[in-house]
Amino acid sequence: MRRAEVSYPWLLALLGGLALVLFALSLAIGYAPLDLPAAGADALGGRETIGALVLVELRLPRALLGLLVGFTLGLSGAVMQGFLRNPLAEPGVVGVSGGAALGAVVVFYSGLAATSSLLLPLGGIVAALLVGGLLFAVAGRGMSTTTLILAGVAINSLAGALISLTLNLAPNPYAAMEIMFWLMGSLADRSFSHVWVAIAPMIVGWMLLLSTSRALDALSLGEETARTLGIGMRRVRAAVVGGVALSVGAATAVTGVIGFVGLVVPHLLRPFVAHRPGRLLFASGLGGASLTLAADIAVRLIPSRPELQLGVVTAIIGAPFLFSLVWRYRRLER
Amino acid sequence: MTVSRIFSAVVGCAAAGLFLGILTGPAASMADDERAAPERVVSMNLCADELLLRLADPDQIVSVTYLGQNPDQSTVADKAARYPANHGLAEEILRLSPDLVVAGRYTTRTTVDFLRRVGEPVLELEVPTTLPEVEAQIRMLGDRLGQSERAEAMVAEIAGAFVGPATPDDDAPTAVVFAPNGFTVGAGSLVDTVIEAAGLRNLGAEQDLGRYRRLSLEQLARLKPDVLILNAEETSPALAYEVLHHPILDRLPKAPLVVSLSPRLWTCAGPALVDALALLRQAAETIETHRRAGQ
Repeated sequence: MRRAEVSYPWLLALLGGLALVLFALSLAIGYAPLDLPAAGADALGGRETIGALVLVELRLPRALLGLLVGFTLGLSGAVMQGFLRNPLAEPGVVGVSGGAALGAVVVFYSGLAATSSLLLPLGGIVAALLVGGLLFAVAGRGMSTTTLILAGVAINSLAGALISLTLNLAPNPYAAMEIMFWLMGSLADRSFSHVWVAIAPMIVGWMLLLSTSRALDALSLGEETARTLGIGMRRVRAAVVGGVALSVGAATAVTGVIGFVGLVVPHLLRPFVAHRPGRLLFASGLGGASLTLAADIAVRLIPSRPELQLGVVTAIIGAPFLFSLVWRYRRLER
Repeated sequence: MTVSRIFSAVVGCAAAGLFLGILTGPAASMADDERAAPERVVSMNLCADELLLRLADPDQIVSVTYLGQNPDQSTVADKAARYPANHGLAEEILRLSPDLVVAGRYTTRTTVDFLRRVGEPVLELEVPTTLPEVEAQIRMLGDRLGQSERAEAMVAEIAGAFVGPATPDDDAPTAVVFAPNGFTVGAGSLVDTVIEAAGLRNLGAEQDLGRYRRLSLEQLARLKPDVLILNAEETSPALAYEVLHHPILDRLPKAPLVVSLSPRLWTCAGPALVDALALLRQAAETIETHRRAGQ
């Protein structure tokens, strides 16, 4: 493994800068030419020109969601890998995202979401909490990679089948065609209403997840050592499950399942934080935001209309990566 | 394995032979007296339902589609409810032993091909895009059903409503159709014909939107239409409608007149087109009145 070549503050500054650049690029790229500086000036000056509207009502919520959802996925992946001490732990792989999508699908297509838009993220959060709770109840912490992956496969296939069932039973003829959105995710045509319903639970979730930083560092020395250092395992576990459920549940409810971000990013960044799980958290969040924004820029640049689902691009990047991990562990097991 | 496969193949051939034997017989003799009015008509297409239920005598019809019975999609749901519904499946249709099957040119193709193969009399309805084509189709079906008078009356009703100035000029109020998932409607379609007949310029026909005619919200914001035709019947939730409720539509600088128009009014070539036309003419007049007031 490589040694860390950049100091931690520099790493965060670099990743933050990258996320900002991609955020700006995401604002600059769209379906019609836009004079970005002029539109920005109009928006700030309160002039309701077409340019300002396109910037504020269409591109800004899309870029913001990319940033928020990407941060959520990167951070959750890093926390889960650190807490479970398992390189394959990630909301998508273990089925939390799939469960959240099922929760959101049930709330949305039953018409409940029409009564209050806040019920949509709530559906995602409750379902994510159930899956997270189930996962820990069944396997607990000493879970082997095989157990974790098997549990994930089981939960993901069940969630996928139930999503498909719900969409097929939905009275609307369009519903059956919307399975792509829920299973592969997209930021297309999202508005500020989606940002507002999801942002609060996402940020509360981040707080919970970031609060586990010290505990994760201690845990890397072994559970016994962590205990002697005064780490309350119950409290950490509650923070991990609650934080992942709140942030991933809310994110999935408004964008569908975006896979692999939480898997790839922590692995790429781990060498740069000297393999300290606590330090990986914020860095992974920023990295996840960058990857998601970059993928969302890609789906708009690839000349395929209607545009590709975001999860297609992240899977094309992530699946070979997952395969290379499997390859590496296969060698280690020999 | 092999034995059962051979067995099923033999049974399959025998069954097909049986079908052909039974069904080509009467069908072949049918062709001779084609002019005789059919007495057991089955419709396999929503638009066929709409015409059939209006043109035929009630006891000429044996079955209509399940779509025709759905009031969200059909303009003849109450009449359709009196008949057993079919889902365009070959087995259902054969069991009804029809003497005429009316199908759509582009729907339930496998069933239509099968019915033709076994010799059922199938009449396929094209998808008309112009007023003369609409009229010709109504007359053709009316003649086939032995109901030419009703067909003439329907044609007269539609043609009478569509009388008016020909193509709208460049100064005419503009309109754009916005449908679920952000689709719009271009030239060479029945919808475009209705929009033009209402004295509106269809901006969707003037854009280069590629094969799928999908209009992004960014493009829509720039089009600045006078009339925004929201073409959806929202009875139950779907993500497809979210684009029709995007907050940007309420904040466009030149706020368009929003007209909600159910797709069932102009999906099919029938008398409902008159209602769609009336709605759009009213919108065009409102815009003209505003313009005159503004001058």
